[in-house]
Amino acid sequence: MKEQVTLEINGESHELLVEPEKTLLEVLREDLGLTGTKQSCDMGTCGACTVLLNNKPALACLTLAVACKGKQITTIEGLRKGEELHPLQSSFIERGAIQCGMCTPGMILSAKALLDENAHPTEAEVRTAISGNLCRCTGYTKIVEAILAASAAD
Amino acid sequence: MRLPKFLYVEPGSLEEACLFLEEHGRESKLMAGGTDLLPSMKLGLSAPKWLINTSALPQLDQVEFDEGSGLRIGASVKIGALERNALVRQKYPGIALAAVCVGSPQLRQMGTVGGNLSIDTRCDYYNQPDLWRDCKPKCIKMGGETCNAIGGGRKCFAVFSGDLAPALIALDARIRLVSVREERIIPLSELYTGNGAKPRAIKPEEILAGVEVPLLPAGTVGTYAKFAVRKAIDFPLAGVATLLTLEGKEKLCRAAKVVIGAVGPGPDEVKAIGQLLEGKKLSLQLIEEASSLAFKAAKPVANRGSSPVYRKLMIKALVRKALRQAL
Repeated sequence: MKEQVTLEINGESHELLVEPEKTLLEVLREDLGLTGTKQSCDMGTCGACTVLLNNKPALACLTLAVACKGKQITTIEGLRKGEELHPLQSSFIERGAIQCGMCTPGMILSAKALLDENAHPTEAEVRTAISGNLCRCTGYTKIVEAILAASAAD
Repeated sequence: MRLPKFLYVEPGSLEEACLFLEEHGRESKLMAGGTDLLPSMKLGLSAPKWLINTSALPQLDQVEFDEGSGLRIGASVKIGALERNALVRQKYPGIALAAVCVGSPQLRQMGTVGGNLSIDTRCDYYNQPDLWRDCKPKCIKMGGETCNAIGGGRKCFAVFSGDLAPALIALDARIRLVSVREERIIPLSELYTGNGAKPRAIKPEEILAGVEVPLLPAGTVGTYAKFAVRKAIDFPLAGVATLLTLEGKEKLCRAAKVVIGAVGPGPDEVKAIGQLLEGKKLSLQLIEEASSLAFKAAKPVANRGSSPVYRKLMIKALVRKALRQAL
């Protein structure tokens, strides 16, 4: 039976009618067209579906949409301000930290959660912060460099 | 993978949750972080009629310390919050060490203490989608009569792979199990049955509401170490928690407790190590003997993607390393 739920996503309110068995990932991608959040393993082991819930990293594939009432949801789409990209997004692009792009939204959000709490992390702290985000393409080196560069720039 | 359909409830209090379980406990599953339950449901291993969201129960999300009675951790405390809690890091560093080993930053952010203590046992022949499992006979954990991991096996050896449990058991933690009728407080070690198919001794109408950790005598240090293929995301393939009370420069051992995890259907205290070390001065020789006892006590089977012998050897190595650190 569908439930009425209001989801606050990237600062906007969305009133939806969803079944309890729909994950936040499914609602974002299929009902709201926000396909920036990626579906990869779909069971919590890859991090591609990482979003921020109340500014903390969470896996949308293991979050029920109906359980998100009253929470602030941030997806990758919410990072840019108008035409201006978030410093993390620019840094990833400039440093070649993106190949296929599948891990990128999750990586950037995990990195954002880190930098919002710890503006000048060490490399070890960066690697721990992204340890829940798998990348098959890059070998992580440029991703770590991009995050450190974004932190140094502030 | 889609979740199966279910009916969803969000009780506003522990009492409300218990009342609901009293009536519907047998057809319900509790969801706190959902990081163990939802994957299980996606694989077709579990399809409860009711899903009870306990993540927002107000009484269960606190970490409290009292100089008289010790530490109290609510079942809904997130593992990440436990890891970062200044009191826990200062007074019970073994707990923080175990917490930081769990999963990944996202999983620690979502997952709860109660949830991690309650994760289902795992087996490479069980944690598979319907299509995979349909190619084999129904296994004991699924209610059938065969074990697919061990030919001719008649009991279930699915592995309990939680990181917090060994560390908390080493600390003599107790848990509070609450239902409409009563509140029971039992040692955490008694939650685990040793039966991979029915791993926890908790009644359908009960909720694990919290963990109590007693005060530590002076000179007591707890550790936890995890062996897994990767540094994050993976469940442990071997886990070792220790608690040592050492006195003086000669390192006289007043109390020793070693609990091994991820090598059986439940965490196990290696009591022989306590008996070996207590009352003696810790030495390299004794440490070798202790680690051999741990090697013998570990009885993993070939159901978790790493050779049982290697996991036994890792248990031995982790015990040796933890005890040597105390020297």
